[in-house]
Amino acid sequence: MIEVKNVFKSFNGEFVLNDVSVLFEAGKCNMIIGRSGSGKTVLLKSIVGLLEIDRGEIWYDDRLFSKLILNERQEIRQKMGMLFQGGALFDSLTVEQNVMFPLNMFTNQSYREKLKRVNFCLERVRIERANSMLPAELSGGMRKRVAIARAIALNPKYLFCDEPNSGLDPETGIVIDKLIKEITVDFKTTTVINSHDMNSVLEIGDKVVYIHNGYKCWEGTQEEVLHTNNPDLNDFVFATTLAQQIKKQGI
Amino acid sequence: MIEYLFINFGKYFLMLKRIFARPGKFSIYYRQTITEVENLGINSFGIVVIISVFVGAVITIQTNYNIENPFLPKYLVGVTVRDSLLLEFSSTMVALILAGKVGSSIASEIGMMRVTEQIDALEIMGVNSASYLILPKIIASVIFFPVLCLISMIVGLFGGYLSCFLGKIIPPSDYIYGIQYAFYPHYISYALTKTVFYAFIIVTISAYYGYHVEGGAIEVGRSSTKAVVHSSVLILLANLILTRILLQ
Ligand SMILES: Nc1ncnc2c1ncn2[C@@H]1O[C@H](COP(=O)(O)OP(=O)(O)OP(=O)(O)O)[C@@H](O)[C@H]1O
Ligand SMILES: [Mg+2]
Repeated sequence: MIEVKNVFKSFNGEFVLNDVSVLFEAGKCNMIIGRSGSGKTVLLKSIVGLLEIDRGEIWYDDRLFSKLILNERQEIRQKMGMLFQGGALFDSLTVEQNVMFPLNMFTNQSYREKLKRVNFCLERVRIERANSMLPAELSGGMRKRVAIARAIALNPKYLFCDEPNSGLDPETGIVIDKLIKEITVDFKTTTVINSHDMNSVLEIGDKVVYIHNGYKCWEGTQEEVLHTNNPDLNDFVFATTLAQQIKKQGI
Repeated sequence: MIEYLFINFGKYFLMLKRIFARPGKFSIYYRQTITEVENLGINSFGIVVIISVFVGAVITIQTNYNIENPFLPKYLVGVTVRDSLLLEFSSTMVALILAGKVGSSIASEIGMMRVTEQIDALEIMGVNSASYLILPKIIASVIFFPVLCLISMIVGLFGGYLSCFLGKIIPPSDYIYGIQYAFYPHYISYALTKTVFYAFIIVTISAYYGYHVEGGAIEVGRSSTKAVVHSSVLILLANLILTRILLQ
């Protein structure tokens, strides 16, 4: 469980997050949705501590993460997995070494055990026969999937994904969504996903939080999102012509 | 300006503190250090050798040209070449060259990792990124730059010999006598001590600029320029201070 309480974050005097409070429960896919530039990435990075918040509190279960010093944060971070918007693979390491990296760092397993785990993770994201390739040799979507494999290598307790399926074809996107859902349910992870893709919201979102210009405008469940009266959210959810027509004909 | 300086100093020392705080698993650091010895040290071998040979040869010719006086013994050329190499060239000049080669590569490597969020990815895993990325480089260069310094001395003296031998500057036997004449072994330890300090300066300053890049490719380029300029200036400053302390 992760709790965000009254968080403010500004850059050069301009507030990007305004009084955001939200609770992310374990074993659920929590989706943060919002337009491009609304502050989703900033919120996610503030939650994991890559950005220092101006005011407010961030709790990981019973620990006040935002007040911990770096060494104490490191302990909690070893239980985190994060997928960055750009992948952030280590570009001097091969695919296999990338996924093995957290295992090397934090476990004492033998090479064989580690390799088994690496191949298992890579299989789950449908990457085959690419173990010895470098990130530069992969397609954008493949990079993303390898990054997911790296994020789940240590069975994280908290999983953060910044737009996990942007840049993927719809089919692979759904595979990734389902994978994240599976992991969340199987390991009772607290999963927080940034997205502006309504498909994945409807596919896997247990809880949906809508961010608009740095304010949390709305939160609710997957079904509620379709029947909301909030005009901003409505515009966002029914942005495409297809969605509008479906809405007109009744959901 | 002054404020800028103080902020940078503060951030620099905070970074140093993080580098030496709680490093991770020994086996991983060991492996990284070996890789860095190859990247930073062994790959600089060629440039150090080439420059030292030529500089040794040129100093020999110039010195001979300057003291063309029948009353001065020829072996003085050897003495001068040896002292220039040992006292200044093989430590300070080589360090300036390494600042250009190694410093810019460290700053751009780490800077690129910063802008592509690879450093963030390390942090999220719970890895002490400053320590993981920089400590192996510090250890590798503090160990290996003095080796490069020694090599530069030997090769430089050999360059001088070559120019005597091939260019008939002075009789090679005079040169050999000269480089042994009134030799203080302390000169070598003096040069090696300086080099250890220089190695630390080059790596930490360059890593500092790389680690604190914000932005994109242009800022990475700018940081690597700054890394070279600022580490060179600091090397010269350290040279002054260390010389004052060590050569009383
Ligand atoms: N390091 C920074 N310095 C200054 N402003 C920033 C910084 N990072 C983000 N911002 C600003 O914060 C706002 C929110 O950015 P953010 O990256 O969170 O958007 P987002 O919701 O993730 O958008 P997208 O869906 O396009 O990824 C933007 O207006 C951006 O200009
Ligand atoms: Mg974003």
